[in-house]
Amino acid sequence: MQPTSSMKEEFLQKWQMGLQIYRPLIDNTSVSERMKAIKLSADVAMASLRRGTTCWSRALIQKTATEDNFLVRQMLSGIKAETLINKKLPKVMCHRKIVRRSKKILRRRKSRSAIEEVAAKARKLVNKKTQGLRNVVPGGEFMSNDVLLIQETLDYIVSLQTQVNVMRSIVDAAEAGSER
Amino acid sequence: MSSSRRSRQASSSSRINDDQITDLISKLRQSIPEIRQNRRSNTVSASKVLQETCNYIRNLNKEADDLSDRLSQLLETIDPNSPQAAIIRSLINE
Repeated sequence: MQPTSSMKEEFLQKWQMGLQIYRPLIDNTSVSERMKAIKLSADVAMASLRRGTTCWSRALIQKTATEDNFLVRQMLSGIKAETLINKKLPKVMCHRKIVRRSKKILRRRKSRSAIEEVAAKARKLVNKKTQGLRNVVPGGEFMSNDVLLIQETLDYIVSLQTQVNVMRSIVDAAEAGSER
Repeated sequence: MSSSRRSRQASSSSRINDDQITDLISKLRQSIPEIRQNRRSNTVSASKVLQETCNYIRNLNKEADDLSDRLSQLLETIDPNSPQAAIIRSLINE
């Protein structure tokens, strides 16, 4: 899936809204504060595209709210801002006890063919890599289900591509003129 | 009796998950430009795809940070009468 033009348009609109909220401050702050404001509005804009339907977007909104609660509330007003900010992230976890029990039962099977051994090793390597994924996807620590994790990753990637695409177009256009 | 049924259920549900995961990983492969462009064959391993995915996500985040930085610099140095100021003004004031 690629970023669609409607996604890009909606992102731009929301990002604009966030930047406008900062407008009165932009003239009076340092460059680094401005940069943080720009990045935070871009993140909230990106996350709000999903209207709270994905785990990563809820996690990102909560994270941003801890850095700038006011901005997030303003940008999300109308999209159940309160619930998104305060809601406890769902522990979408496989019930650990059940998983442990079924793993123990599987292990009781004595004979494992060579193929099964290789598959088990491959699985271990994959598990290590999915842990890395949990570290980069917002809210990843709550996704112990691998299927959910990869689904969320796919959606997060498309959203990031949208964000970067739009930001790149704006910055390139703005810089192009200034190099006279 | 019931324990063998349970083990069959557990293994069949992990088999379903494996198929789902294989499918999702091939979708990931499609999304990552580096893998899509550089490899013709279908032999990229699952762990390689996951590794490249982590790297790709980190790069995207870094690029977003970099673009935010450039934009904030522009706001600082831009000539208010230039056309590019108009672009940014429309971004901020619209």
